Amino acid sequence: MQNIFEGIKDALILLTTLDPEFYAIVRLSLFVSLTATVLASIIAIPSGIVIGIKDFPGKKIIIRVIYTLMSMPPVVIGLIIFLLLLRSGPFGHYRLNFTPTAMIIAQFCLVTPIITGVVVNGTKERGQDIRELARTFGASRTQTLWLLIRELRINIMSAIVTGYGRAISEVGAVMVVGGNIRGHTRVMTTTIAMLRNMGEYSLAIATGIVLLLISFFINSLLYYWQQER
Amino acid sequence: MKIQGTGITKAFNRKTVLDINNFTVEDGDFWGIIGPNGSGKSTLLRLISKLTEPSSGEITYEPRDKEQSIKRSMTLVFQKPYLLRTSVYNNVAYPLQIRQIHPTEIRRKVEEMLTSFQIESLANQKAWTLSGGEAQKVALARALVFNPELIMLDEPTANIDPASIMLLEDRLRSHYQKSKPTVLMVTHNLQQTKRLCNKVAFMYEGKIHDYGSIEHVFGPDGTSLVKSFIQQGII
Ligand SMILES: Nc1ncnc2c1ncn2[C@@H]1O[C@H](COP(=O)(O)OP(=O)(O)O)[C@@H](O)[C@H]1O
Ligand SMILES: [Mg+2]
Repeated sequence: MQNIFEGIKDALILLTTLDPEFYAIVRLSLFVSLTATVLASIIAIPSGIVIGIKDFPGKKIIIRVIYTLMSMPPVVIGLIIFLLLLRSGPFGHYRLNFTPTAMIIAQFCLVTPIITGVVVNGTKERGQDIRELARTFGASRTQTLWLLIRELRINIMSAIVTGYGRAISEVGAVMVVGGNIRGHTRVMTTTIAMLRNMGEYSLAIATGIVLLLISFFINSLLYYWQQER
Repeated sequence: MKIQGTGITKAFNRKTVLDINNFTVEDGDFWGIIGPNGSGKSTLLRLISKLTEPSSGEITYEPRDKEQSIKRSMTLVFQKPYLLRTSVYNNVAYPLQIRQIHPTEIRRKVEEMLTSFQIESLANQKAWTLSGGEAQKVALARALVFNPELIMLDEPTANIDPASIMLLEDRLRSHYQKSKPTVLMVTHNLQQTKRLCNKVAFMYEGKIHDYGSIEHVFGPDGTSLVKSFIQQGII
């Protein structure tokens, strides 16, 4: 208990002293997870809509695979990416292991099924109605896709928030492919794990609190944005 | 728009629900399509509006032949219309927006429509807060605003209040007289057919059982099947 109260105090100190190393960690966390989420969204939102609307053979199996991937442990995804990026592996010549790029790739793989799955679910319900409405006015394919995105925006926003939340809070994947290298691949969650191993409990809690605050801030922004439209 | 269909069939899971040798809709006709539930009325409208492909047969649209130009010149209003999750104004503006019409022109046309349907006070209201009758007015205003050559309506006045029905019929009639579109309207209301349409088709078990003028189909020359349906009050 003592450690938690100490942690809250330390969090305030950390935030107010503008410790450059700590801010670099926060920045990298945000950068990696946001980039992974944005890239995943670009792929996952249109695919989710298409899978949700279209009838095609194998649709049920694809949806089941997506749901399974949604609950894949981050550390397993990290391990697979790590092996693929090994020097001797198929993508070894890019030399990406232990770089932020590898962390983005791993989180991208983690988040894409999550965003796709949530969008598929939302689209199943109203997607067909929206598409038919667009068609009755002679909308082109692009116009129809835009209308779908506009109409399903609340579902899409929650998909993005869910995916982002998963990315920023996971530790397994970024640890395996990034290696928690100081000043290079160290992010908030790997810092917390490391501080715990070092017995620096209150500093670990402090980092956790900052992580929570950032999530709260981003969620509030998105929530506000949802309400306004 | 003149529409002709030949050898039209539609099957779902190998069960044929529509089987029409041929039909012709002349440009400027106002057809009432009646018949019991499940007789294929909605399916026929979905085929003509190109929402669904026929299992066999072909439908032609004169004078248009390009796929996109056919789709752009017609519309279908569903029995339960889907309104976009935005304001009434934006709903009515949508067909014009996707046609890249100038914003001032859009504003003028939308306002004219809203006034004509007596829903100008609802312009900024969110579409999901409307009553059934109001929603149907928005749906019809949205369908007429871009002046389509072919208007299809699937039971547009089912389950709405009598005052709204009268207004919708009145707006539809005056739009028809002014712009002379081709109209196909599915309805269960015999009196409505008599008030609005100049031709009527009676559908039964996926076929056009009888068609022609109102006097012919509903009069003494009509078939015994139609007569028995009228007697039982089914239509
Ligand atoms: N998407 C569909 N899948 C399977 N059967 C359908 C589908 N749409 C319509 N049907 C069937 O086709 C028949 C005609 O339906 P419909 O055209 O809706 O009739 P109506 O509009 O005259 O009541 C009905 O038996 C209905 O169950
Ligand atoms: Mg029907």
